[in-house]
Amino acid sequence: MFFKQNSMINQTNQKEPNIQEIADLLTDIAAELMTSGAHTMRIIQNISRMAATFGYFIELSVFQQSIMMTITNKEDQLNRLTLIKKTKPLLLNFTIVSDLSSLSWDTFDKNLTFEEIINRFHDIVVQKRMSRWLVLLLVSCANASFCALFKGDIYGVGLVFLATLAGFFTRQEMIKKHINHLIVFSTSAFVASLLAGLGYVFHWGITPEIALASSVLFLIPGVPLINSILDIIEGHVLTGIARLVNASSLIVCIALGLFVSMLILGLEKL
Amino acid sequence: MIHLILIDGSLAAIAAIGFAVISNPSRKAIAVSALLAAIGHGLRFALIHYAMLDISMATFVAASCIGLLSILFARIIHCPAEVFSFPSLLPMIPGLFAYRTILGLIKFMRTADVIKSQGFMLDFVHNGLTTLFILFALVVGVSLPVLFFPKTSFSVTRKY
Repeated sequence: MFFKQNSMINQTNQKEPNIQEIADLLTDIAAELMTSGAHTMRIIQNISRMAATFGYFIELSVFQQSIMMTITNKEDQLNRLTLIKKTKPLLLNFTIVSDLSSLSWDTFDKNLTFEEIINRFHDIVVQKRMSRWLVLLLVSCANASFCALFKGDIYGVGLVFLATLAGFFTRQEMIKKHINHLIVFSTSAFVASLLAGLGYVFHWGITPEIALASSVLFLIPGVPLINSILDIIEGHVLTGIARLVNASSLIVCIALGLFVSMLILGLEKL
Repeated sequence: MIHLILIDGSLAAIAAIGFAVISNPSRKAIAVSALLAAIGHGLRFALIHYAMLDISMATFVAASCIGLLSILFARIIHCPAEVFSFPSLLPMIPGLFAYRTILGLIKFMRTADVIKSQGFMLDFVHNGLTTLFILFALVVGVSLPVLFFPKTSFSVTRKY
């Protein structure tokens, strides 16, 4: 029985894929692009290019939580399907954006079979990320050099390095445990600024206020902010505003964490 | 003068590498974003200090420079331009201004003194507007080349 089913599946795969299979694959790819931090225009371009290869055209609406797509056969316009797919929360991954974009061109140029596209899509999605310890080290160096860019002295740079190390480690651990994003951001900001604020308390160096201010800057959601403005410019106003509100609420959370540690250290009268 | 610009550029490059790895790009893209960040931030530093431009105008020029170069590099390494142009903008994100905006707001809420609170409100509006304008300058600057050459910018991952 099982073998019979298996061979039947193989037979159907060798045939032209039907509209349901194509729609499932395309919404999966669109959701993955949204999660990895592509802007709306790129998602629409990539997906319509792939649909065109199979002889379909699509209308796509991208929202923060879900993706809505209608796929229509070019020859037989009555043969159409509308799907809504929920997207996962944002986890930036530009390797996936880049690889999926080149997959969409390969589909278009090399006429890949449906089977090959699915295999390559799965290979792209399961790729390993960079080691978290290396990321931790590089982010700490980056934030320390940020402090130097704002003309902080050597004590400030050292302090910011340690503060970022602690703050980003907190963030990694909390994200691993799937805690609410807003709480993750305010707690990491609290940890980082508490350490950096020690410079104020013990009068290390001459620019403790720059160290305090730049200690939380590694949390600023830069890519979502840029994406939101880009979406608004390109006419996807609703998605752009949703991204902007998300990013702004994260910034308010960072400020909250910073403010709590300033209260604890007695720096609120600055 | 030259050595100040170089120091500024290399610090920006370190910052760009660190903020780029959060979004997990390929190694080639990280190298390019470090280079572009150094060029962009160094250019902005030079414009502010030697050409006396204000910060949002200088940011706009630097961002459009990054945008143009990123399309060039995108064609060379077959990778969408925003994969390395976004991380190279991150050192110019006005984090310090955003911080001062929120701080101004908090101070304004906590004071009862009318004269002082006027000063804090002024701080809040000034820093908030600067933040907003720099942000817009960054994104409009970097996407100007994309709007001018849409075909080129969306077909860079094509291998032929």
